[in-house]
Amino acid sequence: MHGLSPWFRRPAALLCVLPVLAQAPAPDSGLAERLYRSGERAYASKAYKEALDTWGQLLQSSPRSEFAPRVLLRLAQHQVDIERKPEAAMPYLDRLRGEYIKSPEAADGLLLRGILLARQARRPAELKDAVADFNRVLDLFPDAATCAEARLQLGRAWRDQGQWGRALQQFIDAFRLHAGSTVVAPAMFEAASTLDLMGDLPGCLRMLQRLRIETPQAPEAKEAAWHMAALVKHRLQKPPLRNTGAWPAGRVKWLKTPTLLALAQDGELLIFQNDLDRVFRLHGEDLVPQGPAAPGTRALLAGPTGTLWMLSKNGLVREDAPAVLPLGTLGAISGAALDRWGNLWVADAKTPALTLFTPEGGSRTMASPTASALASLPTGGVVISADADRKLLFLDADGQPRIVVPYGKDLPAPFRTVTALSTDGVGHIAALVDGGEFGEGVVIYGPDGTVLRHATFKALGISGRITSLVMDRSGGLILCDRRNDLLIRLN
Amino acid sequence: MRFRHLLYIPLLCGLLWGQDAALKDTFLQAKALWATQGDREGATVRFDTVVAALGPRAAGLEPEWTQVLCESYNWLAVLDDRSAQNKARAQVRLQALMDLNPDFELDRTLTSQRLSALFDRLKGEKYALIKLTYLPEGGRLVVDGRPSASLARKYLAFGTHKLSYTRPGHASSEIVLELGPHDVKAADFKLTRTASTITLYVQPSDVEILLDGQSLGYAIGKAGPEAAAVAIPLGLRPEELSSAFVIPELAPGKHQLELRAPCFRARVLELPADLASPAADHTLEPIRMEPSRGTLSVISAWPGGELLLSGQSRGPLPLTNLPVCSGSYDLLVRFPAGGFSQRIVVEDGKSISLEARPKPRLAFVGLEGGEFTGRSRFLNQLQSLGDRLQSVAYLPARPDEPPTDALARLKASKEAELLLIARPVPGQVIHQVELVVATLDGEEEHLFVKPLEQDPLGSLAARLNAVPSLQQPDLGISVLDLPGEPGPWVLAATEPALKAGLQVGRPILQVQGKPLATVLELRQLVASAKESVSLSQEGTTFPVPIQMEALEIQLGSPELCYPAVLAHLRLLYAGAKGDEANLIKLNLALALMQFRKFDKAIELLRDARLSTVRGVSQGTLDYHMGRCFLQLGTSYQSEAGQAFRQALKYPQSTLLGPDGPLVAPLARQALEDLK
Repeated sequence: MHGLSPWFRRPAALLCVLPVLAQAPAPDSGLAERLYRSGERAYASKAYKEALDTWGQLLQSSPRSEFAPRVLLRLAQHQVDIERKPEAAMPYLDRLRGEYIKSPEAADGLLLRGILLARQARRPAELKDAVADFNRVLDLFPDAATCAEARLQLGRAWRDQGQWGRALQQFIDAFRLHAGSTVVAPAMFEAASTLDLMGDLPGCLRMLQRLRIETPQAPEAKEAAWHMAALVKHRLQKPPLRNTGAWPAGRVKWLKTPTLLALAQDGELLIFQNDLDRVFRLHGEDLVPQGPAAPGTRALLAGPTGTLWMLSKNGLVREDAPAVLPLGTLGAISGAALDRWGNLWVADAKTPALTLFTPEGGSRTMASPTASALASLPTGGVVISADADRKLLFLDADGQPRIVVPYGKDLPAPFRTVTALSTDGVGHIAALVDGGEFGEGVVIYGPDGTVLRHATFKALGISGRITSLVMDRSGGLILCDRRNDLLIRLN
Repeated sequence: MRFRHLLYIPLLCGLLWGQDAALKDTFLQAKALWATQGDREGATVRFDTVVAALGPRAAGLEPEWTQVLCESYNWLAVLDDRSAQNKARAQVRLQALMDLNPDFELDRTLTSQRLSALFDRLKGEKYALIKLTYLPEGGRLVVDGRPSASLARKYLAFGTHKLSYTRPGHASSEIVLELGPHDVKAADFKLTRTASTITLYVQPSDVEILLDGQSLGYAIGKAGPEAAAVAIPLGLRPEELSSAFVIPELAPGKHQLELRAPCFRARVLELPADLASPAADHTLEPIRMEPSRGTLSVISAWPGGELLLSGQSRGPLPLTNLPVCSGSYDLLVRFPAGGFSQRIVVEDGKSISLEARPKPRLAFVGLEGGEFTGRSRFLNQLQSLGDRLQSVAYLPARPDEPPTDALARLKASKEAELLLIARPVPGQVIHQVELVVATLDGEEEHLFVKPLEQDPLGSLAARLNAVPSLQQPDLGISVLDLPGEPGPWVLAATEPALKAGLQVGRPILQVQGKPLATVLELRQLVASAKESVSLSQEGTTFPVPIQMEALEIQLGSPELCYPAVLAHLRLLYAGAKGDEANLIKLNLALALMQFRKFDKAIELLRDARLSTVRGVSQGTLDYHMGRCFLQLGTSYQSEAGQAFRQALKYPQSTLLGPDGPLVAPLARQALEDLK
């Protein structure tokens, strides 16, 4: 789009090409093209081995051809998309970056490399290389179509490092400079979330509204709708919590000792019924069993790909794993959460520390007070309740407390324990509390630890045994009453 | 060049007209000199002057001048005959006279009997006399294929002659005569009537005559004295009417006669059947056409506009209440840069008012070499691309002009703001053509199309037609679509909206008395409203004023053609003032950033000042200037920092539009990064 005018381009292009023509014999180029096309044909018909062999031959015979960088990119993409071995893609991408940095494919290669490095990162500091690759795309290929995605990814990387100002710049540039591209909706969504993190709630809401108007068909538009509902309800309207009764549709005695609740990624409710030792998904008005039986489950999570994760003293039961994964010595699990890095945080009522299990199977212990409950935060860390200290601790991704909220702060009376915690993905935290002068009830906190809404069960007229809660996408709370085998919704 | 030649025509006509008047004067002087003063020599000299002037063009003379020449010969023969020295020339004069017009009757009072006898003898040696009768009279005599006066006596050279006599409404008659020495023959024409004729006189002339929808021709010229009988009763002079227009063969039955002329109302006359039969000649009362005009007013905020209606200049803008004949016109306003064109229809008694805003002109340079299937179809599509463009004026490529020549011409003449060149993408077989749209300053975009696809230029046409808005009507409120709320929920409002009675944290239930469900509906209603909109919240209705809010153009949008956007904005800027001009500058800078021309963008932004502090405003401008300085490298870091600090002074400034993200946190972060 830029550079020399087309009227002068031809002679200029000829001058540039002349040395290349002198070096590269034409037949080699012809062979390379034929090999590349042959590989493409084989790949399209899913004859992957044939395709990879053909492309490998191209790399051997014509490493200087214009098709060589294309092949390296295709090979890397194959390892990621088909083989699901991102680590196997890295050598191709490294070679593309090292030997063909001037080729147009290098932009896509750098972007893919950055994305893979970002996925591999397990803590903010590990995002450095990914950030460097995203920046290279922007600096070396300012007119490439990949810049839009690079800006979005760079924004996410900055956000995950807690650099919200830089993240916001990239997200806004991504949709401002690339109108009409596929990144507009996700970039707006991320920008809105970042604005909220930076304390600009009106800006966040305006951005979400803009997203819904400009890209109404995008999946992010649906997300934006419930985010707006939750944000306005909890932060701006803050109506007193009201017991709307048994839910859904006044149904009572329809469950078998529900003890745990979680929200699936699509917003449907997951219920662990202790008497049945398994999880059920509430689909419409029907209960659909999901995942294997998992007796004694103490924590329930929706995994990163929509799968179920159930934790008990026996270990971790994953819907997508054939065997139970041991959790070491943890025998009194009080809560678990998955952070944005894919790490599983587990709290044990008898262990004065948090245990972190990495996606690769490793684990480490993080110093912490004994946590009675645990929930993930959109900032990348978790929130824990430390009953012994009577504090809520907002931890960052490295386990460092960023916000400390004493039990009872901003409340008419303090409580003594937290039975369960739940977050809604927008940064709100609901705590199921008990004891003290406050007694049994619920408290909803904002991302900065301020109390947004609260109510005691006495005031709400609830007399059952509530063991778990979840924040729904309409700004309400769903409680599970194991004594009366029902769910209750607060609005 | 041609136009210059055209200028000579009236000059030549003027000269000839002046010459003929002088000649006539000479002729009259010659007659008077001899008649009153007896100055034969003086008379001879003058008659010779007349003969010398008219003789060489005798064959093409008007009848009036032929008569002058004949009379001059007659006088000269008489004068020469009375001069001893020139006596022999008298016969030569008579011979010339006879060759010119054998039917000319000598002036017997002037000419001696001897000369008359000589003339008759000379005539008898070459010509035979024919005596003609015409029934009915008033027809047209043609001798040997050439029109001739319908005289009762006529001399024709010896030999065979074909005479035909025609008259509208009659069957023509033809007589062939063989003439020899001393012959005196008769030719009696008696025509048979076949149909009725209609004779028309129209005021004014140059009126198209249609009979039953078929054009018969135009009533032109001026009527002669024969029209006095029909003109005078209407208070008209005959010369105010057109020449008689005759409808020669009126078929039996009723007919519809229609008269059309530019600038006049069309007249339709019903001709009854009794005009057609029995067959007769009818002369209608003269038909007067009523003038038909409208008025046209054209104004423009852009200077230097000149109005042309169907190619004719009507003067510089502004033009107010310009009388224009009814009809359709191709209206064109030529500006120093850009043009405005529109097809208009002026109706009788109606006024048209237009505000001309120049559109960029896109010149198609041509399709470069390279043969491919469908080339001619593709080239035709390119040549007629202008039919699909509303936002730019299109100049097709000139036939047979090579693209390189066209490019040089366009760059030199600057008669277009945008250039379009089509270049086949080389390959064993050409399957793609690269279309390049470029400004004269070199900002260009490339689009690759497949020439054989159904509509290869559809995308280009759509992009060229897309013109981004720089302002939008706004109520000064931020509203959200919230589930469970009966209408858009008010998040925030500006002072005017709050003063009008709007409550934050409440939904808007109605707009202009109509129920409202979504923010999008509200925007659409505001866009179609004028000064204010009445809103209802919780049973209270109040008007909220509409204000125009500034917008930034979208960048990187596949729906826009950025060279065209730049050309549009450059033209817009020429006619803008104050904040509007500065807003255009801001958007011009954004469009230049799209082409990574950050230095040029800074040049624009440096002098621009917006008086607004909310929405897209001064802080926005400062922020973009800082971003441009950053792009120029580390040398300009201090200028970038200065610009970001300026931006921070406007905490309500936003990007994109009034509801866009705030500039302040971005400027703050940019300053942080500069540390």
